[in-house]
Amino acid sequence: MLVGAFAVAHTPQLLARPETEDREIVLRVHAAFARVKHRLEALRPDVIAMVAGDHIEAFFLNGVPAFAVYAGLEAAGTFGRYRYRFPIHEPLARAILEQGVERGFDLFSTQDAPLDYAFYVPLHFTMPAPAVPLVPLHVNAYLPPQPTPRRCYDWGATLGGILGARPERVVLMASGGMSHFPGTDRYASPDVEWDRHVLDVLRDGRGRELAALTGEELDKTGNVELRTWITLLGAVGAARADVYAYEPSWHHGNAVVEWPV
Amino acid sequence: MRTSLPGITATPWSNGRSKDRVAAVTDDLHYRFPPASAYRLNRCLFAIKSDREFLARYVADPGAASTEMGLTADETRDLLAHDRDALVARGAHPYLVFMAELRLGMERETQPFEFF
Repeated sequence: MLVGAFAVAHTPQLLARPETEDREIVLRVHAAFARVKHRLEALRPDVIAMVAGDHIEAFFLNGVPAFAVYAGLEAAGTFGRYRYRFPIHEPLARAILEQGVERGFDLFSTQDAPLDYAFYVPLHFTMPAPAVPLVPLHVNAYLPPQPTPRRCYDWGATLGGILGARPERVVLMASGGMSHFPGTDRYASPDVEWDRHVLDVLRDGRGRELAALTGEELDKTGNVELRTWITLLGAVGAARADVYAYEPSWHHGNAVVEWPV
Repeated sequence: MRTSLPGITATPWSNGRSKDRVAAVTDDLHYRFPPASAYRLNRCLFAIKSDREFLARYVADPGAASTEMGLTADETRDLLAHDRDALVARGAHPYLVFMAELRLGMERETQPFEFF
């Protein structure tokens, strides 16, 4: 069963804390992460199913899946000096993979791929102890042609159906966003206004409308990673978002959100 | 005051950016399809970002490491010059350029971390 749903930023500067950052903004996002951690402790999930956009880390140009399920024994990765490793909930990973394919989604699977920092950064701050097993779910965010927002939403709806019928207590997390333009000349100009409109729509429980966005619009607003949120929205339906934090920095619209399920 | 979202391209929050555009046209996007001609360049950037052993070789001798990856002299020049615009113009993925640069900074410890 689905017991919780969250969207979390994974901005690496939240972890690395370089002097380029506004300390107060970072600490307010940390406080929002702490709220998520408390909620996870209260929800007592058996597994965290986490949807993240791969930063060309697990998958390079020799194989670019639209949607992937990590079904290995454990998943590990590095980011600079940081080393991390999480146990995988293999029964749920297999159920998502097998039932997802059965329901019409031609999912890619892997049992051995580096775990991107998109998973690690928020889990560094939110993972209860002892660690809850993970099911990493990839959505292609950065390598065109990415799946359409509509397809992400539909996959999320199917995913929600699969999770809802499972015996495990599952928390669904979407990692990514909001507006940022890494590697481009717009890096210092995130589209904060657009982000705020999206958050208003989500507070109203109208997340379904994001399925009508185009891939181009996500690119233009620095929100290619919003595909992870849109996937989650397919699973949570018309639930109204509780926005814990929206803390835009000079380069990144940091958001932390919960949906009641 | 927005009261409804009848259609994304007609909403206030689209800022009109995608009106009359076709989603499949990707040439003016921030993140474009990496052309096959830039594969070796992207593979080199990916290795700097994600392969610690290659990163160490690159830091020790960038020219030799670039040759190992099969880069042309022009690609190597732009890579060693950290010329993002030139690399992206060659088809390098902007995110790979960005993250390769960040990893180099972390490896050389020229960037302060955990400052607060």
